[in-house]
Amino acid sequence: MGKKRVGALEKVDADLANLQYKIRRDPKSYSEDFLNQYGQYQSQRDIFLASPSTATSTGIVSFRDLIDFVAHVADCFPADTASFPSDLKTILTLHHAELESELREKIVGSLVLLRRKEVIDSAELLNTLFPILVQTPSKTLRTLLFQKILSDLRTSNSKHINHKLNKTIQTALFNLLTSDRASAKGIWAVKITRELWKRQIWTDSKAVEIMKEAALADNEKVIGGGVRFFLGGDKEREEMEDDSSDDDAPDVGKMKHQIGINKKSRKSKQKLEEAVKKVKKTEKKKNQPHPLNFSALHLLHDPQGFAETLFSKHLQNSKSKLNLEQKLLVLQLVSRLVGLHKLTVISLYSYFIKYLTPRQPSVTSFLASLAQATHNLVPPDALEPLVQKIANEFVSEASAAEVASAGLNAIREICVRQPLAMSDTLLQDLVMYRKSKDKGTMMAAKGLLSLYREVGADLLKKRDRGKTATMGLKAGSIKERRFGEEEVGGIEGLELLEQWKADERKRKRVEKGLPEELGTDEEEADSEDEEEKGWENWDAESDASSDSGGWINVDSDDEIEISDSEDDKPAAKKVKLDKAASADAPDEEKENKDKGLEQKISTLATTKILTPADLAKLQELRLEASLNKAANKPSSSSRAARLKALTEKHADDGLTAEDIELAAKLRKTTKEERVALAREGKGERGEHKSTQAIRRAKKDSEGKTEDIELAAKLRKTTKEERVALAREGKGERGEHKSTQAIRRAKKDSEGKSTTNREKARKKNFFSPGLGLTQAKKSEHTRQVKKLMYSGGPTKFWKIQR
Amino acid sequence: MSKITVAGVRTNVQELLQYSLETKKRNFLETVELQIGLKNYDPQRDKRFSGTVRLPVVPRPNMSICILGDQHDIDRAKHGGVDAMSSDDLKKLNKNKKLIKKLARKYDAFVASDTLIKQIPRLLGPGLSKAGKFPTPVSHNEDLSAKINEVKSTIKFQLKKVLCMGVAVGNVDMTEDQLISNIMLAINYLVSLLKKGWQNVGSLTIKASMSPPKRLY
Repeated sequence: MGKKRVGALEKVDADLANLQYKIRRDPKSYSEDFLNQYGQYQSQRDIFLASPSTATSTGIVSFRDLIDFVAHVADCFPADTASFPSDLKTILTLHHAELESELREKIVGSLVLLRRKEVIDSAELLNTLFPILVQTPSKTLRTLLFQKILSDLRTSNSKHINHKLNKTIQTALFNLLTSDRASAKGIWAVKITRELWKRQIWTDSKAVEIMKEAALADNEKVIGGGVRFFLGGDKEREEMEDDSSDDDAPDVGKMKHQIGINKKSRKSKQKLEEAVKKVKKTEKKKNQPHPLNFSALHLLHDPQGFAETLFSKHLQNSKSKLNLEQKLLVLQLVSRLVGLHKLTVISLYSYFIKYLTPRQPSVTSFLASLAQATHNLVPPDALEPLVQKIANEFVSEASAAEVASAGLNAIREICVRQPLAMSDTLLQDLVMYRKSKDKGTMMAAKGLLSLYREVGADLLKKRDRGKTATMGLKAGSIKERRFGEEEVGGIEGLELLEQWKADERKRKRVEKGLPEELGTDEEEADSEDEEEKGWENWDAESDASSDSGGWINVDSDDEIEISDSEDDKPAAKKVKLDKAASADAPDEEKENKDKGLEQKISTLATTKILTPADLAKLQELRLEASLNKAANKPSSSSRAARLKALTEKHADDGLTAEDIELAAKLRKTTKEERVALAREGKGERGEHKSTQAIRRAKKDSEGKTEDIELAAKLRKTTKEERVALAREGKGERGEHKSTQAIRRAKKDSEGKSTTNREKARKKNFFSPGLGLTQAKKSEHTRQVKKLMYSGGPTKFWKIQR
Repeated sequence: MSKITVAGVRTNVQELLQYSLETKKRNFLETVELQIGLKNYDPQRDKRFSGTVRLPVVPRPNMSICILGDQHDIDRAKHGGVDAMSSDDLKKLNKNKKLIKKLARKYDAFVASDTLIKQIPRLLGPGLSKAGKFPTPVSHNEDLSAKINEVKSTIKFQLKKVLCMGVAVGNVDMTEDQLISNIMLAINYLVSLLKKGWQNVGSLTIKASMSPPKRLY
């Protein structure tokens, strides 16, 4: 009997998992066992701490198991294990460098577990893990810690935003960046902030400040991270959001139908319930108010200061160690800031001048940045020399078509933003290129011409102005834009709406057999009536509630005739009040005239509220008018709007090199080029390459062609060269290959997909799975899968690259 | 509130005027402000809007304006009793940020003559545009006082880092009808700026400087 019990006890001793299970079910009765184990843990810990580096492997294993065990049941004995979390923390912080890796992982895992069981709080956990993340040389530990930190921040922000925690972490990250600007440690702050920004966990200006500090750091990697965040972080976030909203909800209708037909089972019923729940949840999510997500560029506290320091520190400073690519990134950010916030950094423009030659690598990016940095408050005298230089360097008869069109596009983009940067002689010269034989150049020149027809027709030659602009100039309706002038907006197309309303009213009168002209009283009532109708149906819920009021109809006779029965109830009440108002309306008009306003302010806008229906009609009329205009006559307001839309678009979205090169793609390819392209793909026929490698190579070469320098390529080849080239392509004819092999190689080189069979055949040569037994193979795939799904960080790394 | 009506606006304006002219008259000219709260507006997707519109009646007649100009404009300004500064005065500021900030704070708006305005960014740096007070140009053949009037009656809607904003649309000395026409025009213009019209408007409130707010919508 006694022996048996001892045996049982030993078993418990050995089997920690079993004990753990028992403790969880009934902590009180097993407390003695637990204390026993805890004592063991403490002694093991002391042994370990005495000499952490010389611990034996068996000792480490048992220590690890004990830590795991205690961490799992620590919440059952809070009093006894009070010191346990702090023990783990000290072990980790002091000895993380020399700990055996599995033990280290276990300690981190246990700490996270304790956090999940709410034995310790998030701040404590993160304050422990974060310094180690920054210090440790071990890559595996870093990825582990990074993952744990992120997931912990996400969980603690999942239900509601944990402001306090966010604030402490943000401060820690901020301090990490500002304390030592030259160190690469700041990259972790960048990574964490970027990830949390992407997931919309941090959306405040504090996170943006962290990135701002990163962009102003001294370490290239940190700078790159910070700058890239500003240039692309918001897009990333948007994509992320789209992804998450895309996971399609199950089709409930279909499921219901299937249940009706198929055999009824509990499982299918459950499935349906789940689906309904999911659909409801997504619906709810859709109806939720939008989270307030301003883009990072808008949340900056002091854009002017930021842009200035960024420019002077990384670009103007001759000691800055950035390479061209990094400098371009910084330049993009600076110019984006300048354009978006309309900042004044005058030295920026003179900085550009030395980079504006066709031989400059990635010159299109420079051109795009320059255009991006232009806005209507840039003094024209700062831009004029730049425009002149672009015209001189890029746009000439001798220069290649791409170069010329890129130059013209760049000039147009600059002038859209600041039309005053152009002088008349230069413009007239540039506009001549619209007769160029190259399509890209021609279109770019035409773009410039049409732009100036709208913004500054007087700079053009008389015959280039076009009919509308000439007429406008004569009539004086087109005025020269002056520097610093802000366009005063009006409600677009309002006069059209007014006209339409008057017509409509007349039509109604005629229908009812009333005289066309009415007294002001009646007209007022009528319009009230219309207003009521306008509000209908735009917001069904609110309308329904207001209509159920049940007003007593007290209309005067003439109104009953014109009002519909369904909406006269609220109108009746208003009419009385408005009778007084209607008398004043003419006076008001007179007053307006007395004030000598240049712009006629419509009475409609000042006496009525535009209803949703009105707005819809307004939109419609506006569209109609613009269509009409396309046919013949222009209306200056819509043109102004178009122009405004154009510039607006430019201000908010950054400009990329592609916009400048745009025309290059339009151009017809010459025969030589086509031949060259075709040859390019087949050149590698001799040597075997994987499709991926070929694709990559192709992409690389394309990347280069994006630069304008490809002018050289365009040059007509001489006959000798062509012959040589042709021979080159056929050089490998001598060696014999089977037709199949040749076909395969061709397919390969063209980047076409292969059949599964082919893939399998090819794979066999390299596959590590070859020769494994079936069981092992499946084990292998499982591991691979596990690796693939295991984490955010790998994904994150990819993005970083 | 589901709807906004002319009558509703009128009663609110009446109440507001009643309060600030009779119930609690203050010792200064109260300004009437239109406060706007937006909803369903994603500042990142729907691009941020800004717009200026000219109201029929000057909302703030006491606005202080400074002319930055050449000799001709300075003379005209003196004739009209408006503060003026020459380019030499501006050069004296010596690009000192504090002084420029002080200048920007001292006036509500600036008007500059055509010849001078192109040099403003060089002379004063970012100070004025940072404060949102970049000058309006005026040429010699324009009537200065008309220009000043125009500047005074122009209001600007601009969304900053939050989804609410306020603009001055009048003062309590204006008549009820003047005030209403200003308010209406401002509201209509705002709504026409918004992508989804009224569906983007969360609330509209008018309020005099010291009065309780009156909700219109």
